Amino acid sequence: MELQAVVMAAGGGSRMMDLTYSIPKPLLPIGNKPLIWYPLSLLERVGFEEVIVITTKEAQKEVQKLLLTETKLKPDIVCVQEDADMGTADALRHIQQKIKTDVLVVSCDLITDAALHEVVDLFRVHNATLSMLMSKAHEFTETVPGQKGKKKAGEQRDFVGVDDSGKRLLFMANEADLDEDLVIRKSIMRRHPRMHIKTGLVDAHLYCLKRSVIDFLAENKSISSIRGELVPCLVRKQFSKFSSLQKNKEEPNQNMKKKDNHIASADDDLLELALNRSCWNDHRGDMCGAYHGGKLRCYVHIMEEGMCYRVNTLAAYIEANRLASKLFEEPAIHPSAVISERSVVGSDSIIGTYCQIAEKASVKRSTIGASTTIKEKAKITNSIIMNGVTIEEGCNIQGSVICSHATICRGADIKYCLVGNSQRVEAEGDQRLP
Amino acid sequence: MAGRVGKPSRSSGGPGGSGRKGGEQEEEEQPLQAVLVADSFNRRFFPISKDQPRALLPLANVAMIDYTLEFLTSTGVQETFVFCCWMSNKIKEHLLKSKWCRPTSPNVVRIITSDLYRSLGDVLRDVDAKALVRSDFILVYGDVVSNIDVTQALQEHRSYPALSRQRRKAEKNISVMTMIFKQSSPGHKSRCEEDDIIVAMDSKTKRVLHYQRTQGLKKLQFPMNIFHSVSDEFEIRYDLLDCHISICSPQVAELFTDNFDYQTRNDFVRGILVNEEILGNQIHLYVTMDGYGARVSNLLMYDAVSSDMVRRWIYPLTPEANFTDRKGQECTHSRHNVYRGAGVSLGHGSHMAENVLIGRDTSIGANCHISNSVIGSNCTIGDNVVLDRAYVWNGVHIASGAVIRQSVLCDGVKVKERVTLNRQWLCLQVVVGPDISLPEGTVVSMHHPDEEDEEDEDEFLSDGADNSSNQAKTKLKAFSAAEVGAEGKGYIWRPVKQDDTEDDELVQCLWGLVLNDQNSESESEVSEDSNDLDSRGMSPELDDVKVFQTEVLGTLQRGMEENISCDNLVLEINSLKYAYNITLKEVMQVLMRVVLEFPFQQQGPQLAAVQYCALLLRLLKKWAPVFRNYVKRAPDQMDCLESLEEFFLEHETHWGAMVKVLMELYQLDILEEELIMRWFSDGVTSAKSRQLRKNPGLLKFIQWLEEAEDESSEEDGQ
Repeated sequence: MELQAVVMAAGGGSRMMDLTYSIPKPLLPIGNKPLIWYPLSLLERVGFEEVIVITTKEAQKEVQKLLLTETKLKPDIVCVQEDADMGTADALRHIQQKIKTDVLVVSCDLITDAALHEVVDLFRVHNATLSMLMSKAHEFTETVPGQKGKKKAGEQRDFVGVDDSGKRLLFMANEADLDEDLVIRKSIMRRHPRMHIKTGLVDAHLYCLKRSVIDFLAENKSISSIRGELVPCLVRKQFSKFSSLQKNKEEPNQNMKKKDNHIASADDDLLELALNRSCWNDHRGDMCGAYHGGKLRCYVHIMEEGMCYRVNTLAAYIEANRLASKLFEEPAIHPSAVISERSVVGSDSIIGTYCQIAEKASVKRSTIGASTTIKEKAKITNSIIMNGVTIEEGCNIQGSVICSHATICRGADIKYCLVGNSQRVEAEGDQRLP
Repeated sequence: MAGRVGKPSRSSGGPGGSGRKGGEQEEEEQPLQAVLVADSFNRRFFPISKDQPRALLPLANVAMIDYTLEFLTSTGVQETFVFCCWMSNKIKEHLLKSKWCRPTSPNVVRIITSDLYRSLGDVLRDVDAKALVRSDFILVYGDVVSNIDVTQALQEHRSYPALSRQRRKAEKNISVMTMIFKQSSPGHKSRCEEDDIIVAMDSKTKRVLHYQRTQGLKKLQFPMNIFHSVSDEFEIRYDLLDCHISICSPQVAELFTDNFDYQTRNDFVRGILVNEEILGNQIHLYVTMDGYGARVSNLLMYDAVSSDMVRRWIYPLTPEANFTDRKGQECTHSRHNVYRGAGVSLGHGSHMAENVLIGRDTSIGANCHISNSVIGSNCTIGDNVVLDRAYVWNGVHIASGAVIRQSVLCDGVKVKERVTLNRQWLCLQVVVGPDISLPEGTVVSMHHPDEEDEEDEDEFLSDGADNSSNQAKTKLKAFSAAEVGAEGKGYIWRPVKQDDTEDDELVQCLWGLVLNDQNSESESEVSEDSNDLDSRGMSPELDDVKVFQTEVLGTLQRGMEENISCDNLVLEINSLKYAYNITLKEVMQVLMRVVLEFPFQQQGPQLAAVQYCALLLRLLKKWAPVFRNYVKRAPDQMDCLESLEEFFLEHETHWGAMVKVLMELYQLDILEEELIMRWFSDGVTSAKSRQLRKNPGLLKFIQWLEEAEDESSEEDGQ
């Protein structure tokens, strides 16, 4: 077994509370599949047989069920307490005992059609300490319920510096952490004289990490998040010198630095020899050996095209729903659904199990969850309807999200709204984007 | 063309005058113009530039300005304005004789001279005043060697939004300049530390966002606002060599006029980038991968470009091409890049290894070994001479047995028997030897270095200074036989001469611009790494004392400059103390430390003990009231002594000064003898501090104190 897969599914979904207060984030339906199904199927597609899922008590049962029914993966579900405020790195530290090899960490909210082997290949080829996946950021075109106009520029941009090949990760910082200047050491520039700084990237939260990094985490309890602390720390450490460190540090530090060394000295002798004997080099322009003798190397694969979403905001959720159908082969309309012949169901819609769609109803570019009833003359466009919803006659629903077991009474007109769990929208109500 | 003979066209009111009324269409057809600045406005090549303007210094036996003109001509320039200042007559004379001023020349050279130019800014302001340029023009220095075809860059420059007369308001952003860079990795020999730059650019539009010289920097800082543009991809490039060739829009000259404080192109670029948002002027860059372009800005570059020339990197500009079309410049090219002019005689057993260029009528004796060298015309070289990386100009005599490595010998130099030269620079007419070897990195000139100081200070921004008036002043100072040999003629120039004028353009150690900061760098890496993990949370508190220290230093510096009274200084330090929440004890330590380091801050760390002491004592006297304000009780004095000791333990070489400092503090009644004694006997903490206490000066002082104490107690007893 080369890599162990770990799926992080303990997050609370704090950026889309409207949706997650009733459903745990991993189970949010996207294209009538729970969110966590997507990373799991990604792993299964590329041939993983086992997976460690870190999740909360709340979601444990459902996840277990899902793993057994929907995938052939052999699951190992670890529960963490939701309110313990654990970061992703804390979670990794938590399962340190279970990790025997290098790991592939995936977040449960990743929906992508990325070729996973690209990331893993970088990891293998360069014997990297870290390799990760990033993608061009998407503009969300759909109007988001409850948000007027476009939410823009509030997000802090990430500055990601890569070398000329676009693979080696040289610099990483968040706009929020930078004061007035972006500071880069000259020695880095000397080794990699042409640095591309990209700002329009999103981190897919998919990482390949060396086993030694887990040990490093165990040593450094202060690191709590992979993205926020571990990755920037590793990126910085690529260019620091270890040998000179050990002399002038006091005891506790010394241990840590030794560990650093440990993270780094991953090259075995044979590989070392191969590097010495071959004329291969990872860079051009100077006469130094490959990697400038650095043992710690971080790489990133940047997806230029294809689909890569992190479902962590409402906007992303809606967007993902729209695109999810491309990711699985099953028919868009479940065979058990009862659809009247005189209704209009667009081919870009997904209809779940045991749905009932009555005459003259029309469903376009929407996702309809299981056991939902849509009555006569209802019009649904661009919306996400979860399970067990009842939509009565003559409703007009546009660009909205209707959570499970809600009832929309006759003749309601709903535009760009988010209707909560088990809510009842009264007849002739006219809900619009405030 | 009317002005084909290179007369100063100043009188004609500027040839651009007629072009002004031309419409859009005419603009397209306008001939490409260039502004060539045949003066460097610095003294990198001093003292040779005293006798010969830099543009005329021979590089591979051809004057540098010829390369520049050839480059301009071959790239399609049809009209070149040559601006001369220092020794303009010589340049003019040279150009009038050259092929550029023949009627057939495709490039019309107009020479404009003025003694008033002090900088590139002055030149461009004059360009604007005389309305010389009509459309985009190329701006180069007279010491640029290049074979880049700028047509492509010119096209790109024209494709950027430009300010045309019709749509003056329509375009918000306009491109005023395209700088041309050559891609070359760090550490390439044609990149010299001094001219290293870092550029931040927008990947898509090739717009320059940030441009900075990196000399002496360890960390490169980029202001965040440059990343606020629409684009989401930026590049930070450290692999660029500035060719000092720029394509300018006519606005450049106007901008120089508008901003009278722009002196150099650096000022200009910085000014444009800083004010980009307001004025909407942009600078773009063009990177060439295969062309060659370099500015011979110092001796190191002279060496690099010369050897590139001989090694044919600047094809088609090669020594045997004789592009200047002068009689006697022809030479033949044979294997291993050996070039020989006409009439070269080579003695028996002499060997020209590789990369050698020998000018016309030079005779070389027997058993010589020559490699990587350029030798001018009419030189005589004796037997058994070794030349390696030597640049020998015209009419040089080298006697038998001389060994010359990495040196420049200017016109008419005589090197006597068995002289060894390594990294030397011998100026015109100098004679050295026999049997002498000079220390590395010396400059020998017929001009006495002291002449220099006597000169009018105004002159020093130019290539050299007016020397005719000085000739008289130069009394016949004797040549030192110890320095230049028994038959030697010439004065040694000390390379340390630093006049802190013009930005950072100081005279560096001659050949010594080496990349040696690798070691120091690792230190910074260590320090950075140590706090990168553990101290993230607590660093602010830790730093407070540091910040306080720099603030105190700043306060004292200002106090020094503006002559602020001690009372006010105390007031300021007190307020800083509260601002950073510093204890009184720390204030003491920091204050002591800052004052002790003050002379180093002012004069640089190599300050000798004696000067240090003198400076420090003056400071102590001046700021005695400040000390008295803080050092009152016995513990304060102990703290004071401890930080004093700490400081001197770090500066072993200055232990001599310590006694003087103690003495001064004692006499100023800041420290009491009793406490000094107590410190001396008790405060031993390490082997080194014990060693410090064995310093003879200190012992003497302590003894003196003891005696004084005895006396006083005796007096008391009586």
